[in-house]
Amino acid sequence: MPEQRIVLRNCGVIDPKDISTYLSQGGFKALEKALGELAPEQVIEEIKKSGLLGRGGAGFPTGLKWQFASEASGEEKYVICNADEGEVGTFKDRYILERDPFSLIEAMAIAGYAIGANKGYIYLRAEYHHLLGLLEGAIVQCEGKGFLAKQGNFKFDIEIREGAGAYVCGEETALMDSIEGKRGEARYKPPFPPSQGLWQKPTIINNVETLMNIPPIILKGSDWFNRIGTERSKGTKVFSVSGDVRAPGTYELVMGSSLKELVEDLALAEKVKMVQVGGASGRVIPYHLIDTPLAFEGVLGAGAIIVFNESRDVIDIVRRTMEFFAEESCGKCTPCREGTQVMLEILTRFCHGQGLKQDIENLESLANVMMLTSLCGLGQAAPNSVVDTLAHYRSAYESRVQG
Amino acid sequence: MLPLFGGDENLSVDMIPVTLNGTKVSAQPGMTILELARENGVDIPTLCYRPELTPIGACRICVVEVEGSRTLVASCHTPVAANMVIHTHSPKVLEARKVIVELLLASHPDVCLVCDKANTCELRKIAADLGVGLPRFRVKKRYHPLEDVSPYVVRDLDKCILCRRCLRACHEIKKADVFAIAYRGFDSKVVVDQDQPLNKSVCRDCDVCISLCPVGALTKREERFKEKKGPPLFIKA
Repeated sequence: MPEQRIVLRNCGVIDPKDISTYLSQGGFKALEKALGELAPEQVIEEIKKSGLLGRGGAGFPTGLKWQFASEASGEEKYVICNADEGEVGTFKDRYILERDPFSLIEAMAIAGYAIGANKGYIYLRAEYHHLLGLLEGAIVQCEGKGFLAKQGNFKFDIEIREGAGAYVCGEETALMDSIEGKRGEARYKPPFPPSQGLWQKPTIINNVETLMNIPPIILKGSDWFNRIGTERSKGTKVFSVSGDVRAPGTYELVMGSSLKELVEDLALAEKVKMVQVGGASGRVIPYHLIDTPLAFEGVLGAGAIIVFNESRDVIDIVRRTMEFFAEESCGKCTPCREGTQVMLEILTRFCHGQGLKQDIENLESLANVMMLTSLCGLGQAAPNSVVDTLAHYRSAYESRVQG
Repeated sequence: MLPLFGGDENLSVDMIPVTLNGTKVSAQPGMTILELARENGVDIPTLCYRPELTPIGACRICVVEVEGSRTLVASCHTPVAANMVIHTHSPKVLEARKVIVELLLASHPDVCLVCDKANTCELRKIAADLGVGLPRFRVKKRYHPLEDVSPYVVRDLDKCILCRRCLRACHEIKKADVFAIAYRGFDSKVVVDQDQPLNKSVCRDCDVCISLCPVGALTKREERFKEKKGPPLFIKA
């Protein structure tokens, strides 16, 4: 399936420092349309009908999330843009923020109008500090043109909050704790953010890429969007391709395109051994499954594609992945805090060719329990690479058992 | 949890029907799965949970199976919903609890013989009840110097299982906020100030944290190594 630019429509076309270039591309027409022609419920209905699913990895229906927040009682509501892009190997949100900050602001305003919020936060990852000035400049320009000022009953403020470098703060509840000034740790759910989120108020929290889809859906209609993609996965997906490829970078493909097309045809990878789709917390796809479609029906995650060629050692990759999780676990719940450390030590033994006979079995039972009982997505997804490599590359483990 | 309306059946229209271990029972709205189970005489083990404290869902010992849920759910903070089908002791649940206890034991110091908590230790009791012997996992032990600066409390953080009862008790009951969590992941630690030993100037000997510590991490100085009353613990086969 072809490349198609919906999310990246303005990237490289407009000047991110100059709002007039954005306006000449039809900028803020979607907000105007929403405010002028559609009731908040109609905006939500349109997003629901479009079939847009969250692009942060979990794939929750965006329209439904907005509906829950809109129906939740309370005067004060919040819109949060999750720009904490912490997943290993993703840089698509950075690419978008660097090139088209205005669309994001427009989308947040539309979201605010839809759910009845007049305050939005952009949670910017600490490593993207260099983008702070650009984003603040974009917000000031939008305010200067009066797009966020009072129009009827609607008014919208956007504030940027910077993270402090924790991976777990990309998890929505930990992110909200972080905005509140607390230590970033996942909260239990329910209550879910649309009913009790930031400061216990109804909150929607959307990924940068999810929000980027909003203005075109409002302008061109849900039917247009609904025709792109597969049965369950509508629209396009932006991928960050890195690793053993000749053409790393950001690619936007129609949902349902094959992994092979992206990795071999576009990113020019050769002698591929395996691909980690969705970063450290994603699935490991061995070469013989490279035709897997990139969609919520197949594999997707947050769109990080890390390619490994035949020169790479599977166990070493998995050990490094686990080292990352052991480092980034917040330490709140037992299975994640202790489990990632136990796994790291087992995998380190394998790396040294000193695996114990019971280690493989222990990895499997531990992975299973971590996925079933961890408090948040971090602990639940941490064993993914272990599980997948045990399924596809078991002999790599078995050959390193001592005695 | 007591019935809201003195058990008057005419007023029980708001009761939620739930299936608990194959039996149809009714729950009050807002009740957690744990409260429902305990009200119906089903014993779910807990470590971080205490009825007088806000639940945090940290230890994950109290997980149960809810049909239709992708993961197991922690019963201490998950509210019951209409027509939930709950299994509190399915093989899947028991295996998960065992693994969690084994994880806690793996990094726990092997000093039960000379631990002040001895057979009143909640971790040992849960391990015994679940039939957990030697843990199957091996992991490094934590090492923190014994803190015996305070005239009241002796803190042995090697034994801490990070249930945060002390932290919540100090915050919610005593309103003193002496404790906080510092560091991340396996290195997480309950700290005082910028990781200083607990001393006289911040702590006022209220005993609340000591009385709630499930393991031997917090002990009262004058009662250390005195006789403790508790049932003998046997590992169930």
